[in-house]
Amino acid sequence: MTAALCVLGALLVQVMLVNRLPLPAGGAPDLVLLAVVAVALLRGPAAGVVAGFCAGLLVDLIPPTAHLMGMYAFVFALVGYVAGRGIGGTVTTVVLCVLIAPLVAAALGGLVADPRVTLETLTERIPVSAVYTLIVSPLVIWLITRERPRPRLLK
Amino acid sequence: MRELQRARLFLGVLLTMSLVILTVDHRAGVASPLWPLRSAGSWFFGTVERIGGSVARPVGGFVAALVNAPGAQAELDRLKTENAKLRAGLASNRLDAVRSTELRKLLGTAGLGGYKIVTASVVARRGQPGFEDAVQIDVGTRDGVRPEMTVLNGEGLIGRVVQVSSDTSTVVLISDPASAAGARLEGGQEIGVVHGVGENGRLVRFRLLDSTAPITRGGRIVSFGSQRGAPYVAGVPIGVIERVEATPGELTRIAYARPYADLTALDVVGVVVRAPAKDPKDAVLPREPQVAREAALPRARGGQPRPRDRQGAVSPRKEGAR
Repeated sequence: MTAALCVLGALLVQVMLVNRLPLPAGGAPDLVLLAVVAVALLRGPAAGVVAGFCAGLLVDLIPPTAHLMGMYAFVFALVGYVAGRGIGGTVTTVVLCVLIAPLVAAALGGLVADPRVTLETLTERIPVSAVYTLIVSPLVIWLITRERPRPRLLK
Repeated sequence: MRELQRARLFLGVLLTMSLVILTVDHRAGVASPLWPLRSAGSWFFGTVERIGGSVARPVGGFVAALVNAPGAQAELDRLKTENAKLRAGLASNRLDAVRSTELRKLLGTAGLGGYKIVTASVVARRGQPGFEDAVQIDVGTRDGVRPEMTVLNGEGLIGRVVQVSSDTSTVVLISDPASAAGARLEGGQEIGVVHGVGENGRLVRFRLLDSTAPITRGGRIVSFGSQRGAPYVAGVPIGVIERVEATPGELTRIAYARPYADLTALDVVGVVVRAPAKDPKDAVLPREPQVAREAALPRARGGQPRPRDRQGAVSPRKEGAR
């Protein structure tokens, strides 16, 4: 329940607030990705996959949207699994997830011949937003490590 | 180990499911069986966003003010200069003319071109997660908005409506790489296509279909208009050519234009619910580009109350002064 609310809250804040900020270099941090990573880190891979899939479906549904449905369901289910299994420590996992998510999305976009996925997307847009997401990610890592000793509160 | 096996099973099932959804949506297009789900989501979350928009706006405005703080001093100086000019205008009893210009700008592009518009506010924006550049506005079918309608603001073209629910609608911006709008060079019949290039709307790509046509920096482009004004009505200002790319041996020429509308910070927009009866040609373009270029230069002759100079200063966001 808490996890679902977290993801939904992150998504609404993302489209209503964060994306509308005219930040320098024209990118924005991806809060939904961080929320999925956080849920997966706390609950393990199985819950991470399910949470990621549901979050992804919501991402595909919440307006304004102009991409195909199922795209982010795929990406976030994968991210949920990777974050749930964990690779090295928490920090490594978060950084890795932040880096692979846009690349998987771009690859999927390329597969269905999305005109939005171009070389410029790969060289300009994705790095900028990855950097913004990494800047915000310490907050998420802090939230997780803080809750670690008493994870029951979240369940 | 048990947990990991279960996770792998979930992963396999859910990844397959999302790929199936993706394929169905991709192949079926508008006739997709997922359409009811999508419109239900659009209706529900659109309403949430519309209600939450009033809460989110002041916060966004505050952060925008912080981000723009470095430019605030320049803006202050500019406003001071403008103030001095307006005073001079008052002294020489020409304020009426200025006010008339201001009012005309206020009444806007719509009045000039004869477009019938419905005004709306932006309540949400996409950019992350996703590669599209789209916004959600707080008008829908109840206000007469339908898909494939042109969206503009007081400065220029914004985009087109792609999906409508009862109270909100989704607009794909001209900066979206998947959008293409017919465009025309000012004062001629040279036509081309404007594509978005991402970059959060700072530039759009203009592909001129005639490679021999003269095209230079500072040239201005307006929308060419489509049949029956859908999705784009004719004569809406799009932008100013910023740089022209050398494309030797190609059939088309490519230039990059800076949109008149500030696509990075959108707030109040208008949806054209009825196109003008006649193409307004270049009538809607802001006047006298050379004045605006003067405005971008250091202001050597700040206090002179020349009416043309003043007009350039009234609309500084359009040209260069940003």
